[in-house]
Amino acid sequence: MADENVFDKKKSHRAKQAGRKAEKKKNKNKVDQSNLSARQRNPKAFAIQSAVRAERQFRRREDVIAKKQHIPQVDKTPLEPPPIVVAIVGPPRVGKTTLINNLIKSFIKTNVTNTNGPITIVTSKKRRITLIECNNDVNSMIDIAKCADLVLLLCDASFGFEMEIFEFLNICQVHGMPKIMGVLTHLDMIKNAKTLKTTKKTLKHRFWTEVYAGAKLFYLSGIIHGEYLRNEIKNLSRFISVMKFRPLSWRMTHAYVLADRLEDITSQELIRKDAKVNRDVVLYGYVRGVPLMKESSVHIAGVGDMKISELSYLPDPCPLPSSEKKRHLMERERQIYAPFSGVGGIVYDKDAVYIELQGSHSHKKEDEETNEKKALLKNVVETKETVDEQMQESGFQLFSGGAVIYPDMVKDDEYLQQNKKAESDSSDSEDEGNDSDNDSGIDEKKEKKNKLPWDNDNSDAGSDDEGDDNDDDNDDGEEMSVDGDDKDKGDMSDDDSDSDDEPQNDFGMKWKEKLGQKATEAYLQRQKTSKNIMKLVYGDFEIGNKGKKKDEESESEEEDKPNLRDWTSDTNKQYLINSFVTGKRSADEDASELLKLDDASDGEDEELYGDFEDLETGEKHKAEEDTETTAEPGSKRKAEPTKSEILDKKLKLKAKFDSEYDNPDDHRIKGDHSYYENLKAEALKQSELNKSVFDNLDNGLRVEVEGFRPGLYVRMLFKNMPSEFVTNFDSSYPILIGALNMAEQNIGFVSCKVKKHRWYKKILKTNDPLIISLGWRRFQTLPIYSKIEDDMKCRYLKYTPEHVTCNMHFYGPITPQNTGFLALQSVNNNPNEIKQVGFRIAATGSVNEINKSTQIVKKLKLIGTPLKIYKKTAFIKDMFTTTLEVAKFEGARVKTVSGIRGQIKKALNKPEGAFRATFEDKILMSDIVFCRTWYKVDVTKFYAPVVNLLLPVGAKNAWQGMKTKGQLKREKNIKNDANLDSLYTEVNRAPKVFKPLVIPKNLQKGLPYRFKPKEKSTTLSGTNPKDKFKNRIAVIKNPEEQKISNVMKMLKTNYEKKKEVQKAATALRLEKHKKQLEEEEWRKLKRQKELKKKICRHLSKTGNKNKTQM
Amino acid sequence: MPATVHNDLLVYKGSNFFRQRLLLATLSGRTIKIEEIRSTHDDPGLREYEVSLIRLLDKVTNGTRVELSETGTSVYYQPGILVGGHVTHNCSTQRGMGYYLEVLLALGPFCKEPLNVVLQGVTHSDLDVSVDKIKTAALPVLLKFILVDDGLELKVVRRGAPPLGGGEVVFKCPVRRSLRPLQWTQWGLVKRIRGVVYALRVSPTMANRVVEAAKGVMLKFLPDVYINTDQCRGSNAGKSPGFGISLVAETNEKTYYCAEAKSTDVGTGDITLPEDLGRECAQRLLDEVYRAGAVDSSFQWLLALWMALGQKDVSECVVGPLSDYTITFLQHLKEFFGVMFKLEVQRSESDDEDSDDEGVTPASKIKMTCVGIGYVNISKRTL
Repeated sequence: MADENVFDKKKSHRAKQAGRKAEKKKNKNKVDQSNLSARQRNPKAFAIQSAVRAERQFRRREDVIAKKQHIPQVDKTPLEPPPIVVAIVGPPRVGKTTLINNLIKSFIKTNVTNTNGPITIVTSKKRRITLIECNNDVNSMIDIAKCADLVLLLCDASFGFEMEIFEFLNICQVHGMPKIMGVLTHLDMIKNAKTLKTTKKTLKHRFWTEVYAGAKLFYLSGIIHGEYLRNEIKNLSRFISVMKFRPLSWRMTHAYVLADRLEDITSQELIRKDAKVNRDVVLYGYVRGVPLMKESSVHIAGVGDMKISELSYLPDPCPLPSSEKKRHLMERERQIYAPFSGVGGIVYDKDAVYIELQGSHSHKKEDEETNEKKALLKNVVETKETVDEQMQESGFQLFSGGAVIYPDMVKDDEYLQQNKKAESDSSDSEDEGNDSDNDSGIDEKKEKKNKLPWDNDNSDAGSDDEGDDNDDDNDDGEEMSVDGDDKDKGDMSDDDSDSDDEPQNDFGMKWKEKLGQKATEAYLQRQKTSKNIMKLVYGDFEIGNKGKKKDEESESEEEDKPNLRDWTSDTNKQYLINSFVTGKRSADEDASELLKLDDASDGEDEELYGDFEDLETGEKHKAEEDTETTAEPGSKRKAEPTKSEILDKKLKLKAKFDSEYDNPDDHRIKGDHSYYENLKAEALKQSELNKSVFDNLDNGLRVEVEGFRPGLYVRMLFKNMPSEFVTNFDSSYPILIGALNMAEQNIGFVSCKVKKHRWYKKILKTNDPLIISLGWRRFQTLPIYSKIEDDMKCRYLKYTPEHVTCNMHFYGPITPQNTGFLALQSVNNNPNEIKQVGFRIAATGSVNEINKSTQIVKKLKLIGTPLKIYKKTAFIKDMFTTTLEVAKFEGARVKTVSGIRGQIKKALNKPEGAFRATFEDKILMSDIVFCRTWYKVDVTKFYAPVVNLLLPVGAKNAWQGMKTKGQLKREKNIKNDANLDSLYTEVNRAPKVFKPLVIPKNLQKGLPYRFKPKEKSTTLSGTNPKDKFKNRIAVIKNPEEQKISNVMKMLKTNYEKKKEVQKAATALRLEKHKKQLEEEEWRKLKRQKELKKKICRHLSKTGNKNKTQM
Repeated sequence: MPATVHNDLLVYKGSNFFRQRLLLATLSGRTIKIEEIRSTHDDPGLREYEVSLIRLLDKVTNGTRVELSETGTSVYYQPGILVGGHVTHNCSTQRGMGYYLEVLLALGPFCKEPLNVVLQGVTHSDLDVSVDKIKTAALPVLLKFILVDDGLELKVVRRGAPPLGGGEVVFKCPVRRSLRPLQWTQWGLVKRIRGVVYALRVSPTMANRVVEAAKGVMLKFLPDVYINTDQCRGSNAGKSPGFGISLVAETNEKTYYCAEAKSTDVGTGDITLPEDLGRECAQRLLDEVYRAGAVDSSFQWLLALWMALGQKDVSECVVGPLSDYTITFLQHLKEFFGVMFKLEVQRSESDDEDSDDEGVTPASKIKMTCVGIGYVNISKRTL
């Protein structure tokens, strides 16, 4: 075999050494082929083969790209976002509380005994979540759907999806779909493996049709020792902590707070006097959505519209870990904050301090931290002073160790105010101190306050202090003068002669030592000037200082109204000449400068552009390095400060050019997406600006300008809250505080499009009370349904149509267009009622228009009858009752039943309400005349917020508003009298009477005889034929004739008698004759019989003879 | 004079800034009450032009409730929904049409139907901005906010000088759901100067003399100066004689500065020389150019308003020194909308440089920064 191989071996290829191909190859090998792309190696293979195909490919690619594009939105998530609201929703007894407990345990490794209200925990270095359980009340479900970012939808797999789940999904869809994750529990109840598999599959697919195909559905396979399996929970928590969220339009335009703490700060004395007195309530929570403005009015879901009377921010009770470079959270950074559950460090109450110990095992570790805690607790417990006093003193020690215990727990008012002052107004308060030299007491306070760690913790506050010191002297109107420009840090040290300022200055200096380069010169300057110009405009917006403001205003007037200068004079001209295009431009715009720069950087350019590469061939052209030439312009450039910038710009442009033309992979023809790209860039730029513009502003001012940005923990004071809110408080109900934008606190007529839900069993009736959840609110109102006709007229409908949208008007809060809403007929959780209704969501829709009046019309037919008829004119009565009414309708179109059209002309003076009308033809007296008009229907002004949070604890789910008419009738057993027209009555039909047929004489004459009416002919009138001759003329005979007729009569009688006799005789004769005939016949028969007999006898005789003979 | 708040009702005292307050109340939907209107004057109560303004607001809104006290010294104003549409209004001749037009301009983008208003009255007045100025300097500002010009128009049909007026303008404004945030920190350099000189019931030479004088000043700075003359005749000239000029400086960043001057009213006895008028107007324009900023100083408040009414994004603009009117307007904005501007005196490096080089101090520029309140046009209908 080996030999064969040797023999079979083909002659190996001999590469050409010379010739055209060898040349080619040599050329090709000159360039290193190894790091070239396929395209570069073989450009021909990538050339366009078919133009049509290339076009199709291009078009398809563009289609795919276009499909992916969305309108770019400005990203509004703040740098430190608020905790994500994770809502656990499901029907009762499905395992919600167990899941929360397990999740908390998996995240922070502690057991929480009772979970109530929102629970905030730190889950990772960049994420916090707020867990909240939704109870089985449709009110809570609605509120939760409005604020949840992520919903864990629990479902008992052994039972399947319940109505609540579908209801909740629907609510979510209407109010902006949060992320939804399904969780199947009770899987261990299904024993059979095959059933389990099919159940999972069917449930999954049902879930997908509701949410979206591919939505995540978790399986919690069972419970061991009252807990779900650890790795399943771990998986779930991982999913939660990496979840991404899309902005929802309502929440991107409205701020909201999910309150996680509530305090009643009404004085006890007032409550003692009157338990029902309106309360002052403080609510705490994280701001979410968009910045919350200080003076905005809010709606507390389940309570009503409120005005925030005091708003301040507090240090975060559950802060994200500081940015240390570690991968995992430290034990002490895994924090939990849940005041309603009584978890989360120390809770300061009015007269007591509550300390939560983190489970029994937390004592075991005796690290530095716990020691510190202990010392601190000791301090707290052993003290004999009041809490306030103690806090004043112990604050510093308390918090220097780290953010272990949260000063926001301090609830005392005076204290808080100070706190607030310290944070937001620290700068100006000091100004005040200087300007009005009487209140040295305040200054002292400030000293103390500055020691409080939560001011000085953050570098901002420290730098603010510096800024303030700088401020001191130049708020006397210097802000407007431009000469003060070059004031800088030098001011700070040289200015203050006031004795009051000395210690502060020292303090500031100390801080400066510590903080080093935190505050730059420029920053200080900006701070200073901005403060002052703002003070000029807004007065002392932080601390009232009225006298000051007036002075400044007068100064400003001076500034604002400069005398008209003579601009033509040469000196003044100098000021202006550069404002015109003909003047000298700034360095980066001046063409000649730019040209110079270009020349100067040419050397560099050579270097930059010297190296280039021919992509087709992969050939590289190298420029000779010339270091000397580059060095020279570099030194020159330093003289011009803008040059470096320009060079940067150039480099950027070059990079862009390079990326566009040198990228070897992108040789395809690309579409022009510049419009979309520009939009995207714009949105990005805006979001960056939003984030950066207030970055180096001090926090107090920032809050004033920007509002309380999302992520801040705020304290809101509401005055005059109903006492029931506090006394009937139940932490299992979410307290959602939604801010209202401009004009949204007003009430008007809302027009919206609405569709009855296809699962709702009944249709909806106009003017039946309906509970609507719109925006933040839930309220009851009386809607009117209508249909928009082609001429944009709203025609009244008594009931909602099935399967199509219709229009709905109601009196309610003004809400922006396109806001979704849903309608319920009752929020009562009466199980019987729910069972009867089945699906509770009656309708869904969205707002179309807001107005202060409505135009809904109903068709109205006015009916009249002719009074008198002329040729084409007729007098019509009964349509109107007064002349005035007629006057209103002059010129209106009318119509008869037969379709003759006409017009109302003028009223008659008798009878009242009758009028003259003209028609296109003569009408009949029997005609009915219609006038078709439209009647305006008014929307009832009824608006009642659902105040379920004020109801007693057990009955919060039993809010009952206005009842429908049907409900009331059913309850009171009122039955309508049936319409008389609908009742059955005996039918009495009179026999039909016809008129005789009358044929005119002329016509009769012409008729042939058989058609001529005969006297005898039966009449149509049905007269008795006996009466036919009744009206004949009587004939009276003379005696002669009488005799004749007598004779004739006698003769006739005679003859008749004769005939009679003859007839009788004939009958007799006939009888006789008949008998005779019969007799004869009989005789004949007898004779024949005898003859037959004789013959037969003879025949038989002869027969016998013959026999014997034989 | 800050407002006192009684249960969401803003109560003001005095007749000052009546227009601002009504305008902001209409936009914000908040009810206001203004008390003590000229209560100590010989002629107490509202003036005719103020009543006329209320009438106009009533025409462009639906559901507005106005209650005047018997003496006219107190007004209760509960605004309705902005409707817009076709409106004809006979303005009071006590004030110029600018008094009403500015309000309409501010309200225009937020109406239900595009605004189409015919105003009759005095088109040029000393007290108020003239229609020419609004047309040339204020409309471009609005255009920056609505971006697409679909029917924003101000047409001067007839001019009318005080005291009798007789002018007519047609103002059309498109509606928007929301205004976009605006960053406008560069205003560029003046590239051209245009102007209009009108002469009503006076000799046409007057106009030409004004042109000569104004041009004489402006040409020292820029060669591109072109001034139109508008010689009105017959009914187009209104009811009173008068003449005037308005000059516009346009920069290469589409900022328009406008200055105007007009002859004294008939019957006052003073005589205005056309040459003086032209020169004065030119000087005023130069003053405006000196003050600089992204908008003309008389429309700073409009800029502030539209910035505040933008989406919940940051807007920033640089303007010249704030006028008194703007300052009170900013205060009012804070009271009605709770929006506060971050104001800072701007110093760019180039400015410093200039001042070092030549000893020239440019007018102080103020950078206004604010976060829009996310105002949406709630009147507009969606289908």
